[in-house]
Amino acid sequence: MSHQTREEIERIVLTHLRRTVMQLEGQPIDTSLSMKDLGANSLDIVEVVSGSMRTLRIRIPRAELEHLTDVAGLVDLLHAKALEKS
Amino acid sequence: MSAWDDPATRAAARYSLADFATSFTDDPLEIDPEFTRWRALTAGAAGHYQQAMDGPPEPRGRLIDGAGRRSVINLSAYNYLGLARHPAVVEAAARALERYGVGACGSPMISGRTGLHDALERRLSRLLGRERTMLFNSGYAGVLGLTAGLLRKGDVAVVDARIHLSVIDGVRLAGARLRFFAHNDPDALDRALTETAGARRVVMVEGVYSLDGDMADLPRLAPVCAAHGVGLIVDEAHSVLACGAAGGGVTEHHGMSDEVALYYGTFSKAFGGMGGFVSGPAATIDYLCHYADSYGFSCALPTCMVAAHLAALDVVQADPGLARRLADNAAYFRAGLNRRGIDTGDSNTHVVPIVVGADRSRLYRLADALRARGLFIVPFDYPSVPVDGLRFRACVTAAHTRADLDEALAIIEQAFAAVDSAAASLSPAGPPDGRSG
Repeated sequence: MSHQTREEIERIVLTHLRRTVMQLEGQPIDTSLSMKDLGANSLDIVEVVSGSMRTLRIRIPRAELEHLTDVAGLVDLLHAKALEKS
Repeated sequence: MSAWDDPATRAAARYSLADFATSFTDDPLEIDPEFTRWRALTAGAAGHYQQAMDGPPEPRGRLIDGAGRRSVINLSAYNYLGLARHPAVVEAAARALERYGVGACGSPMISGRTGLHDALERRLSRLLGRERTMLFNSGYAGVLGLTAGLLRKGDVAVVDARIHLSVIDGVRLAGARLRFFAHNDPDALDRALTETAGARRVVMVEGVYSLDGDMADLPRLAPVCAAHGVGLIVDEAHSVLACGAAGGGVTEHHGMSDEVALYYGTFSKAFGGMGGFVSGPAATIDYLCHYADSYGFSCALPTCMVAAHLAALDVVQADPGLARRLADNAAYFRAGLNRRGIDTGDSNTHVVPIVVGADRSRLYRLADALRARGLFIVPFDYPSVPVDGLRFRACVTAAHTRADLDEALAIIEQAFAAVDSAAASLSPAGPPDGRSG
């Protein structure tokens, strides 16, 4: 699962987000918003992050994700780690 | 040289248990090798959990340490009123053990109840001013049964952000939604209730927060629940018998009994035993008996334990000074920590956190130093506590003497000084978290 583009990674994250937060299903998602602003509670956020990392086979310490403020930031971080791994 | 100076260990310390709940293996029975490697690299931390005592959970005891025994002052046990080995409690349990045997050997719905179960339920109902009470064989299982028994898919549990994991697990089991509100914040509760209007809802808070030691702000939260017409459930696990003039917990302390719809408590803390209970309207308890699966599909509390809890109630009601000693000891210990510049967060009860910040290696270096000096106090790591609020939790009890507490304070002061001076000598920037003991 290496060499994913940023767009592919964004697609993975959004798939997990829509699957976890019911009201986002089939809706466009503004990645400049935080998951909380998009209606996710803290357990939903864990679910989305865990699911995305599992799909990508990337493990980032959860504590290092605490400072992220929006979905795009998560995608960027996952993309950077995927590049490091490849 | 500590294991925490090893670069591989320091790298591993960036990770926590939160990072391995998701496994990358394809077979659930195949444990992720990254987890196993992480466990090996952080074995020094793991050694602070699942430690074994060579005796009862009393203020002083011996910790099993390999082949040897280490004498310790115990600040980790929930034995808040010192009842776990009180002679009257032990004698009642022994008599019941002799008469009823070891186990109840049946679900309370089938054959596990005795007259003593009935007597304990009635005593608790009277103590708390509730119509009816039911007993669970574990505190965790009781909350699970209570939440999953009442909530259904589409319902919303509006819970304080610092609520215990048992509530979260119960709500998830029910398939209901969780909506957190900022800790003890009535405005945040109001917003959460406004945003979830239309759904069936309950609000759940803890009487005393188990890792922070502060009380639920019932006088400000309960009116918000009432304004929205939503019932309030209080988990008094750490406060029943320990708080309130008659032992009715934080609900009694604040005089809010009428505002609390359901009262949850455990026996594993101030009672010195084990199990849990829920008290409330007769119709609610009757419903829960049939829909709280951890009640109906699990063995009843052993009768000897029930007898111990009845005796514990007798002891507390005959000696109201016990709870006063507990509060005095807690205030004394907390003041001693604060005088030494140690952060005890929002604690105002017998649960006293020692907050050390975000540096995991500092947490475990301190844990090593405290244990080496004879203090049994367990570190709490992320995700049990916030990532920047790693801590120890001191459980002060009425049975600790001032000499016990003074010695514990001296040990804590020495351990902080030793760990932070070692860190300062390695780094010109000073102690890793900028805070010293």
